[in-house]
Amino acid sequence: MIRWRIGRDPLWNELDNLQRRMDGLMNAVSPWRPSAELPLWGHARLFPLLNVKEAGAQYVVTGEIPGIKTGDLDIKIEGDTLTIKGERKAAEIAESASYHRRERALGMFQRSLTLPKTVDPDNVKATYKDGILTITLTKSAAATPRQITITSE
Amino acid sequence: MADQELQVTEKKEVRPTQGEFTYEGTYFTPAVDIYGTDKELVLLADLPGVNSESVEVDLRDDVLTIVGKVTPNIPEGEALLTEYQTGNYFRSFRITELVDQSKITASMSDGVLTLVLPKVEKAVPRKIPITAS
Repeated sequence: MIRWRIGRDPLWNELDNLQRRMDGLMNAVSPWRPSAELPLWGHARLFPLLNVKEAGAQYVVTGEIPGIKTGDLDIKIEGDTLTIKGERKAAEIAESASYHRRERALGMFQRSLTLPKTVDPDNVKATYKDGILTITLTKSAAATPRQITITSE
Repeated sequence: MADQELQVTEKKEVRPTQGEFTYEGTYFTPAVDIYGTDKELVLLADLPGVNSESVEVDLRDDVLTIVGKVTPNIPEGEALLTEYQTGNYFRSFRITELVDQSKITASMSDGVLTLVLPKVEKAVPRKIPITAS
């Protein structure tokens, strides 16, 4: 299982900085450059591609997964890790039919995403509309910042 | 095929070689499957975020055009991760087969457009009987 770290994780930021500095060094030394396709964290891609927004106490995760039955989707929450699993099945076509073009990707997928803070597993809402999956997660009480009031004596 | 892993396909932005769009916005090329039988052509297009009201299918002469408009429904807040962009969809095909325009049916479900283009009677291949003399 591949875990995905997002947000201001110091480790990945440090790796990104390192990569940038290496790139700069490479450019200074020779015009040759390592391919941008190198499987570094910043470039690796897994289906489904996700967008994550943080609004107050909530994280909103959206992904484009057109043409899937909600029964074929499996969403799990474990602490700060969200796992999306599923399968996109091929359309059933008649035996006499033949494909002229086949571009729509099919198959199984599984992706885990580690959120910056733990979330409340009882407070997760997932909706699927027009091929877009939206998962709304609420940060757990322990992870929500608390305002401390100072009482003067 | 059952345990095949789904590969990521990056969205490709449409860069028209001829004629630009008169309206602003980003357009992506949707992935399509086209398969055909003797009687019809079926086209499946992935248009996530598009519903039956916001899709336009047009067949003029022999050019089939699909336009899907996406109303951005971007949740508020600070973006932590942005792996995909949202935008409209555009794609057109030249249909070489003879299609009965009055019998085309289109349906949209879960972000997938299904177009059924029945071939005209003439284009349905017929077995030609050979008689021995």
